[in-house]
Amino acid sequence: MKKYWLGFALFVVLLMQVAKADPIPMKPYQIGDWSSLVKSANGAPLAIHFWGVTCPACVKEMPKWGAFLKSNPNAKVIFIQVDDVTPEMMQKMLSKAGLETANNYYLAAPFDERLRYEIDPKWHGETPTTILIDKNGKPIRKTGLINFQTLSSLMRIST
Amino acid sequence: MKKSISTSLYTFLAKTLLWGVLGAFTQANAQMDHSSHAGMSAPSKPNNVCQGIGLDCANAATPFMTKEGKLLLAWAASGVVSVAQSMDGGKTFSPAVKIAEHGKSLDTGSDARPQIVADSKGNVFLAYAFFKDANWNAQINTARSIDGGNTFTIPESLVQDSSSQRFPSVLIKPDNSIFISWIDKRLVAAAKQNSVSRLGGAIAYSSSIDAGKTFQTERFANESSCECCRIGASLDPKSQVAIAYRAIFPGGIRDQASQVINSKGAGSIQRVADDDWRTDACPHHGPSIAVSGSGKFHVAWYTQGAKRSGVFYANSINQGATYSKPTRAGAEGENVARPYLLASGNQVWMVWKEFDGSYSSIYLKQSNDDGITWSEGKFISKTSGYSDHPLLLKRDRDILLSWLTREDGYQLLQVGNIQ
Repeated sequence: MKKYWLGFALFVVLLMQVAKADPIPMKPYQIGDWSSLVKSANGAPLAIHFWGVTCPACVKEMPKWGAFLKSNPNAKVIFIQVDDVTPEMMQKMLSKAGLETANNYYLAAPFDERLRYEIDPKWHGETPTTILIDKNGKPIRKTGLINFQTLSSLMRIST
Repeated sequence: MKKSISTSLYTFLAKTLLWGVLGAFTQANAQMDHSSHAGMSAPSKPNNVCQGIGLDCANAATPFMTKEGKLLLAWAASGVVSVAQSMDGGKTFSPAVKIAEHGKSLDTGSDARPQIVADSKGNVFLAYAFFKDANWNAQINTARSIDGGNTFTIPESLVQDSSSQRFPSVLIKPDNSIFISWIDKRLVAAAKQNSVSRLGGAIAYSSSIDAGKTFQTERFANESSCECCRIGASLDPKSQVAIAYRAIFPGGIRDQASQVINSKGAGSIQRVADDDWRTDACPHHGPSIAVSGSGKFHVAWYTQGAKRSGVFYANSINQGATYSKPTRAGAEGENVARPYLLASGNQVWMVWKEFDGSYSSIYLKQSNDDGITWSEGKFISKTSGYSDHPLLLKRDRDILLSWLTREDGYQLLQVGNIQ
């Protein structure tokens, strides 16, 4: 009996170690980071998606982004979470959407006009917002929900 | 022998188990240390987010000027809602009273701010929203003071409902009654339960005749509104309420609406302008309304509509039945945001914020003929760091700008005079 208990205890410890190692690094994003982020795709088309855990439309859409990445594993997508919340809150929603291993960022600065200016001076912070960078580095801003068919063809055409 | 091996193995495993649990706890504690981001996997850059609970770290500050000229300032900073008083126009403040502490669950969205009003008897009423559960359902809490803001009651929920209530907007009437409106999601939640897809939220309202101790049963003014924009509210000369908000019109058009609310209930929903902003996004950018002495409605708002894009102003001489042609605030192509209006007699003031890539600046426009003609936009103040929305308030015959900035402190500047 004791053996089983010990075995179970060992199993729990192992589980905990696995769970502990699990959180995928979310990277901080702040003013000045935009140009290097845009260049990070090395000329491939890139979608940079801004979302917030407190934005109902974003929360509804995130699982669709998860599905999109599943069927387009080579698509280069960066997610930036804009609300001032805890890492667990972000991770939870990302896990639900199947995006826990995606290229995730959080804001290490207020989500204000100063942060948005280098991204697009005309963007006033609507969420969700996706900025598609084509292979020539030209950005297209799309506010609101994305048409994933259009997105996948846009990202494929430019590859 | 067998027993001793088994015991030592047991001890080893027990220690490992304890160690594992402790490790997990350490991690959990680290993650609960919200401000440090210690739970994140090694941020490569320092965190430059202000971490105190004082006004210097606040993301939003809301003023209320009492008849005696005492400034009550409510603010949200690092998850804490506080109130302080100033007798010298915001130069110095009494020690802050901590109203509530919600950590990262406090609603700090860019259109959220604590609301504060005071009546003529020294009662102070405060309202704010926080996220109450893991599904980001919000709750509006209220707190009261009977001693002019020195002490407050423990915050309690405004309504009893498990769905979401957010963005309280509070007015105090000359008879000391309190009007409150907010974005309510119970209709959306009910529709979801019946597997009906329903967008946005609803505009709900209530009032209190006992300084906020009890409220009438809430009612809906509009069952279809944007869920993430502040509600603008103002009193007309008869103490009726005029509200302006981002409604959802058929086809998912998120344009501005105004409505009159009096003792009989809410009047018809009037469209302020046909901007044709079809969007399913959260603009986080609600309108402002001010009713002048003639009863004229003055409304300013932000849109990215197909028919116009930017910040606009329009007025209505017939309680919103028709509005004047919208005119733009600020220059086209500039980064213009956060308009705010105040009216007195036939004078109207409008402020907004512009960002030029380095500085956020506040501009002011004034009309002395009830919004027919306006002065040129005049520069008032600028800051290089984070800043809140510009707000306007009255102190006797002075018109004041209230503007919270991270680098240059809280500013209360006289920007006009009542003639």
